[in-house]
Amino acid sequence: MNKFLKTLIPFDIAKGLKITGTHFGKVFFSANRRKVPLHVVSEYPEVPVKVQPRFRGRLMMLRDEAGEIKCVCCMSCEKICPTGVISIIAGKQEGRKTRIPERYDFEMERCIFCEFCVESCAFDAIILNHQFELAVYDREDMSLSMEGDFQNMFKTSPVARFSVADEAQ
Amino acid sequence: MPTPTLTQTLVIALIQAILVVIFIFVIVPLTIYAERKVLGHIQLRLGATRIAGTHTGLTGLVNRSMWKLGKVPVLAYWRGIPMLVGDILKMILKEDVRPTKADRFVFFLAPSLSFVAAVMAFAAVSFVPGTFFTFPKWVPLVGGLPLSGGMADVNVGLLWILGIASVGVYGIVLAGWASNSKYPLLGSLRSGAQIVSYEVPLTLSLLAPVLMSGSLQFSHMATTMATGLPFWGIVPQMLGFLVYFTCGFAETNRLPFDMPEAENELVAGFHTEYSGMKFGFFYLGEYINMAVVSALAAGFFLGGPWLLPFGLQGLVNPYLPAWLGQPCALFFVVKIVLLLFVFIWVRGTIPRYRYDQIMAVAWKYLIPLALVNLLLAAMVRYLAV
Repeated sequence: MNKFLKTLIPFDIAKGLKITGTHFGKVFFSANRRKVPLHVVSEYPEVPVKVQPRFRGRLMMLRDEAGEIKCVCCMSCEKICPTGVISIIAGKQEGRKTRIPERYDFEMERCIFCEFCVESCAFDAIILNHQFELAVYDREDMSLSMEGDFQNMFKTSPVARFSVADEAQ
Repeated sequence: MPTPTLTQTLVIALIQAILVVIFIFVIVPLTIYAERKVLGHIQLRLGATRIAGTHTGLTGLVNRSMWKLGKVPVLAYWRGIPMLVGDILKMILKEDVRPTKADRFVFFLAPSLSFVAAVMAFAAVSFVPGTFFTFPKWVPLVGGLPLSGGMADVNVGLLWILGIASVGVYGIVLAGWASNSKYPLLGSLRSGAQIVSYEVPLTLSLLAPVLMSGSLQFSHMATTMATGLPFWGIVPQMLGFLVYFTCGFAETNRLPFDMPEAENELVAGFHTEYSGMKFGFFYLGEYINMAVVSALAAGFFLGGPWLLPFGLQGLVNPYLPAWLGQPCALFFVVKIVLLLFVFIWVRGTIPRYRYDQIMAVAWKYLIPLALVNLLLAAMVRYLAV
């Protein structure tokens, strides 16, 4: 009898309609009014996208508070990199106990964004930032180094206008 | 009031027909647009936002300048609107492909049959009982004459609607057969079985309003179901309304019952081989059918063109404004739009039934329920009205 009633009266359909109706109402009445929209799919090129905190974007080197390069050339990132896209040439600097990278080259073409380099770094000298707009016109632009202004390991990519990770600076 | 001559009658009928066609061709693209928007909102998206209008035209200008100011445009919600024109234009301009082995005449006949059947059902729907409006005196030829609320509010209106609506299935079956292809044939066979089975409970559930109002005329039925009862027709006929609306989904091939065009089993069902405006006729016909089903439900169960529910209609209150008690086509249209929203809402909620489940629902549940409901209506008729 109970089963018969359950079949007869569509409780489950009413439940589903309630859920979808709530979603519809929430999005409908907040689409233009809220600063933080309720809809999860954003209008990407116009509105900045929020990526998840653990998103793995482009590799980036960091400086400490005094403006010194954090990297000490322990080569652990170069060793652990599965595709071998990082190559470091170590050098010396007056008044600095540890070594300092003379060159730090990063071939983004072959990078698989696995974040092994960041995990292996004992000095928190590199991160993967939140940039995902990395398209360039030339293959040469995919190789990053410490020199130059266009694809500098210390700066964010000039291609990305939005979604730039702020915590890197 | 002068008696109209034959010419005047014809001109008035023509104006009525044009009005109804305008109504259809306003409400159908809006439904298609609303479908995209509502389905998007249900899935926490925004739906259609960037078709034309985002960068071009007047709205595009407003949008771009507001983005530059760093604000979400006011028109953001309505940015998909130009798609209404775009959709129709796309269907008209597309190449019309016909399979080589297709039966040429029947292939052409099927979409027109399904479209014409859908539009013709609107002939017997009366938007307002009696006069819709009277032409002003200065109008040439028809000045001072009344324009009635329905095109042909004949005394067998419901019979006409049901008969014409069941002609629509020929469109689908013929389309499947004439395409000379396997998927369309399967789709149309399923559709034939489904629509024929669901017509039985549909008609049975519509018999209850017929019984309670004692008429087959649309305007008379709407009047009786709205004002003759102490409450709207939906209160004693809750069961009937649910059965009718469920069958309406099946009759219009809407989503929980869209067997004829199950995309993941048959490519696109009966209209796989159709393209261009021939496909467009099937597409528009489906939406017009939705409007017809909604119009019947609004007229018989939701009080038709009257505003007030629950016996307030019969209340004579001199302090209420006069239009509150009068039938108004606007209320009828609002109810139709509400029911169209329910169509889309259900589509966004319930997944497709299996074929045997569809048949089981029709024969094992809906037909007995409709019969019980008919008995209930007879009791209400005997005791109350």
